Amino acid sequence: MKERTPKNIFIQGAISSAFIADSIQKHSTKTDIGGHSIFLGQVRADEIEGKKVVAIEYTAYEEMALQKMHEIREAVFAEYPLTCMHVYHSLGKVAAGEICLFVFTSSAHRKAATEACNVLVERIKAELPVWGAEILEDETHQWKVNQ
Amino acid sequence: MKILFFGQLVEVVGAKELSIEGGTDIHALTSSLHQLFPLLAQAKYVIAVDQEIISDNRNLQEHNIVAFMPPFSGG
Repeated sequence: MKERTPKNIFIQGAISSAFIADSIQKHSTKTDIGGHSIFLGQVRADEIEGKKVVAIEYTAYEEMALQKMHEIREAVFAEYPLTCMHVYHSLGKVAAGEICLFVFTSSAHRKAATEACNVLVERIKAELPVWGAEILEDETHQWKVNQ
Repeated sequence: MKILFFGQLVEVVGAKELSIEGGTDIHALTSSLHQLFPLLAQAKYVIAVDQEIISDNRNLQEHNIVAFMPPFSGG
């Protein structure tokens, strides 16, 4: 298998739809791909004790997160016959309604792409040292808890 | 030795990073930090030494980086 070095997955602020579209477009030259699977995490305007979440501010232990993501990437590549895998996570402030996580897998046949995409999302949420502070409309905040 | 705090623990401790002199072990380090920052004793966290999450006690050297990490909430 090809050696892969840790890639930076972090993007400052929201992940734009133009970036996502461009990322899809780039795969048109890879004609061995038959299916893509994309997960987009969006900041939800939850209501907490009557106050709306207006944004989430993400911080991370970046070096450790990138190393961990590298391990996850290698493990998922070893388990599924994927052509491509791309993962991007926001850092800093992302407003409600904006995209904060972009996971994109591609394979010759759909099953590998969809299953690998699901596994990646679950592992990213459980294993990457990333934290989200939910900023409320009165400018107070509370710490996000993953379900 | 460098000690890092993340997420809500930054607020509990009032710093992202502390530096202490000399060697120690995880038990001694956590109990002295719990004395200094009583709210840390009530917080949920895991400890990573040089980016590896540990669950047992171990000796710490000057060059180690110890991270206190609350439950992850990315995505």
